Amino acid sequence: MNGLTLYFRLIRLAVQARMQYRADFLTGIIGVIVMNTVTVSLISIMVSRFRNLNGWTMWEMVFLYCLWLLGHSLYSFFFWHISALEDYLVEGTFDQFLMRPVSPFVMFLGREVHYMGVADLTFAALGLSLAYRNLHLQWNGIHWLFFGLAVIAGTLIETTLVLMFACISFWTGRSRRASRLLIRLNMMVQYYPVDIFGYVFRIIVTGFIPVAFMNYYPALMLLGKLDPQSPGGWLGYISPLVALTLVIFSAVVWRLALRRYSSSGG
Amino acid sequence: MGQGVYYLKIFWAFARQVFHGNAIYRFEFWMRLFWVYLLMYSVYWVWKTLYTQTPGAFGISLEQMVTYALLGMMLDIVLDVGPEWYIATQVRTGAIDTDLMKPLDFHFHMLARSAGEMLFGLGILALPACAIGYFLFDLQPPGDAITSLLFAASVILSFFVFFHIGFLLGALTVITLDIRSIAWAYYALISFFSGQMIPLWLFPDFLRKISEALPFQAIYYIPISIYIKKLSGADALQKLGLQAFWVVVLTCISRWAWSRVHARLTVQGG
Repeated sequence: MNGLTLYFRLIRLAVQARMQYRADFLTGIIGVIVMNTVTVSLISIMVSRFRNLNGWTMWEMVFLYCLWLLGHSLYSFFFWHISALEDYLVEGTFDQFLMRPVSPFVMFLGREVHYMGVADLTFAALGLSLAYRNLHLQWNGIHWLFFGLAVIAGTLIETTLVLMFACISFWTGRSRRASRLLIRLNMMVQYYPVDIFGYVFRIIVTGFIPVAFMNYYPALMLLGKLDPQSPGGWLGYISPLVALTLVIFSAVVWRLALRRYSSSGG
Repeated sequence: MGQGVYYLKIFWAFARQVFHGNAIYRFEFWMRLFWVYLLMYSVYWVWKTLYTQTPGAFGISLEQMVTYALLGMMLDIVLDVGPEWYIATQVRTGAIDTDLMKPLDFHFHMLARSAGEMLFGLGILALPACAIGYFLFDLQPPGDAITSLLFAASVILSFFVFFHIGFLLGALTVITLDIRSIAWAYYALISFFSGQMIPLWLFPDFLRKISEALPFQAIYYIPISIYIKKLSGADALQKLGLQAFWVVVLTCISRWAWSRVHARLTVQGG
């Protein structure tokens, strides 16, 4: 059985397992609604106070946020539990994966699904279509294609970043704090357009922890905000490449981490 | 009296243990420091840019606004003591049994652990964070002795408020069995209603009224507003009173909620 078939079979099991936890399902959905309401309120307070955020209007900000949210929704449905790697290690659950005659990575990925992704997806689709109408966008085929790629790239960027941060726990024994910090950074980039920040921050979210490629740079292209004269214009097009690079990079990190792994004995 | 000393000793033992537990993670220390720098840098630029764009929209000076935002990020590392994560892990692994078997009040135990976390934040991280804020960004030193004193008192109270909100979330995980699905929403809620991201006076009226009715403002908004003297004199004292009020209310709610949850745990365990 190859990895992909196994993965989908595991996902089906995970869905069935999830069904058992009603309370968690409910809090998850409420959580998503709360988070999105809060973010949109923050954005709208800022925009109504300052009319625009460094040139970004209300609907452009909504577009920016929902573009991120769409990529995030796929991540949160399929890959949310990657950030819990630390718990898997400490509790010895990870050892089970290593004992099976298949890739431990597939076992790990297929372990859980989370319904919050569905709520995120609904919210993002609604926000994006409202923004599309209010901004009077007229996309052609290339735009739509790029949009699709950008969303998938967003999912992959978030997933691989979370994975690499979680892998810290192979070395230090814990990564929860690191994962939480990643959440905070991610939130910061969702509340404001990246161009509002200073250079150091922009370099970090572009080159080192490239969360800006999840929505900011592709949004520049999709909203027609790219300035062909500016030297950094090409950044608007390369999200898929960034995602690909990160996938390769995180695969290497994962390999190194596995080699490093010694069980906690739990 | 003897009883009090006894409890103080236990409290100190747990707090110290957590402190040392934190101290062995060198990497995490540098990472947290780097992170607070990054967050301070980002909010510094947000407000600077917005101030240049619309100078009149703040109601306070740029220095005050920047100090407000920087402190919001700095207090984060001191106050973010997270009893909810500890409880959630213990519940999921079943190790909560051993905690409950200790001849010690669970709520008190958690308070001691969180105090240890806070002491680590205050003792080890706060000073370098202040230095970064002061030398690299325009963090204003506290104006005078009275302001500093009020601020210190307010931060201590906000620790208690934050701890109890976290504790309640932790109690909730006994029922939901998972904390990660609500973690994002929880952080978003806190940073919004506590005025950490945007000071409450910039909120539209109805949202400000809601925030003022909730306990979250006691976490960041009140201590920081005291620091930048947006709140002073009688107003500041009144807000300190409000914080104390929330500490009492949340303590009662937490203890009540935990007794309910505890009963449920026993039933589950058979």
